[in-house]
Amino acid sequence: MQNQEGCDGGGGGATSCEFEDWGSFGDEAIIQQKSEISDEAQKIPFVADKEPISALAAEYQSGSPILLEKIKILGEQYAAIRRTRGDGNCFFRSFMFSYLEHILNSQDQAEVDRIKAKVEECRKTLQSLGYTDFTFEDFFALFLEQLDSVLQGSESSISHDELIIRSRDQSISDYVVMFFRFVTTGEIRKRSEFFEPFVMGLSNGTVEQFCKSAVEPMGEESDHVHITALSDALGVPIRVVYLDRSSCDTGGVSVNHHDFIPTTSDLPNSISGSTQSIQPYITLLYRPGHYDILYPK
Amino acid sequence: MQASRARLFKEYKEVQREKTADPDIQLVCDDSNIFKWTALIKGPSETPFEGGVFQLAFAVPEQYPLQPPQVRFLTKIFHPNVHFKTGEICLDILKNAWSPAWTLQSVCRAIIALMAHPEPDSPLNCDSGNLLRSGDTRGYQSMARMYTRLAAMPKKG
Repeated sequence: MQNQEGCDGGGGGATSCEFEDWGSFGDEAIIQQKSEISDEAQKIPFVADKEPISALAAEYQSGSPILLEKIKILGEQYAAIRRTRGDGNCFFRSFMFSYLEHILNSQDQAEVDRIKAKVEECRKTLQSLGYTDFTFEDFFALFLEQLDSVLQGSESSISHDELIIRSRDQSISDYVVMFFRFVTTGEIRKRSEFFEPFVMGLSNGTVEQFCKSAVEPMGEESDHVHITALSDALGVPIRVVYLDRSSCDTGGVSVNHHDFIPTTSDLPNSISGSTQSIQPYITLLYRPGHYDILYPK
Repeated sequence: MQASRARLFKEYKEVQREKTADPDIQLVCDDSNIFKWTALIKGPSETPFEGGVFQLAFAVPEQYPLQPPQVRFLTKIFHPNVHFKTGEICLDILKNAWSPAWTLQSVCRAIIALMAHPEPDSPLNCDSGNLLRSGDTRGYQSMARMYTRLAAMPKKG
């Protein structure tokens, strides 16, 4: 917790145009710019419709040739992209939709049972860290409700269309995002010794301060630390495909990906020691600052 | 709306149960509106606010707890991070660092901590901030103590 910068009441005249004078960027100008950014973000629903990979290429028509080359390679392996809103919650939101959609399509009761056990562990973790039950239980309950409803055959079962509607409904979507933030913060703080060196690379504070300022608040963007922690906590492998302008000198452009494989030993189909065989069913496309969902062919 | 009401009701019950747990904080919900709360907090010891009792007003938004409550001092206070006229508080957890892990009760604790550890580099009250920034701790303390006596202590006789 700390007192925040930029509260200074007065601020300078925001309309003056002297760029040397940074004082002239008053609070009002900053607030206006922030609201313009969020207006821009809100043009995309929390979770958009599926689009072919070619839609991605159209976006970079006049852009870097390396990117266009990479998008071509992406198109060979992936069929579609589903965008998410760039509001700082895109990783969690992408994970939410991708995971629930996977359960809806696979009807994998064993996986649902497995993750429910994990969710209970997360609950205990938060309790042992001193979080008051009522601060997180509503978020847990709402996620478990969504999980049950994507399994077919009960009164509360929902269709794929309904899943999309719910993912766009702020009162559900944001609560599930917040559930994942609680799970992530619990995992990072539980294993703070493991995460400390990574956290130190991202911020100047302690692990706890990092969690309070960069994991728990809505709208705080996710980094490797968040993804690792969420994947470990829930035991769900995640593949992240990177679309940036990096290329290797040896010529030949390739698209890199990284698999986040949970460190826990109780993964289904995992023979101890061999993590190679695990094929993540959640694939996200990372472009600097943003995550969307990818669909393999 | 429904979710925020349910959450506030849980906080209300918790406050009732833990009434004696934190003697420095007295949180009270408005009789007719669960979105309006007031709190009485004791000025922390070994600060110029010691001995004073400060009243806070909470306005809880419908999006609570995804969005923070709006909190301001009703009692006049001379502190770098509190607006002298409006009582508005400059604290990160009430703005961009808010999360549902905070409660009205823990917000009160955070405000007490802010009273003890002012941040003069982002002042809402520039006079107060400038005294600290220029190293005039004594000046700051005597001003803050004077306002504590004037506004936050029971009138004698």
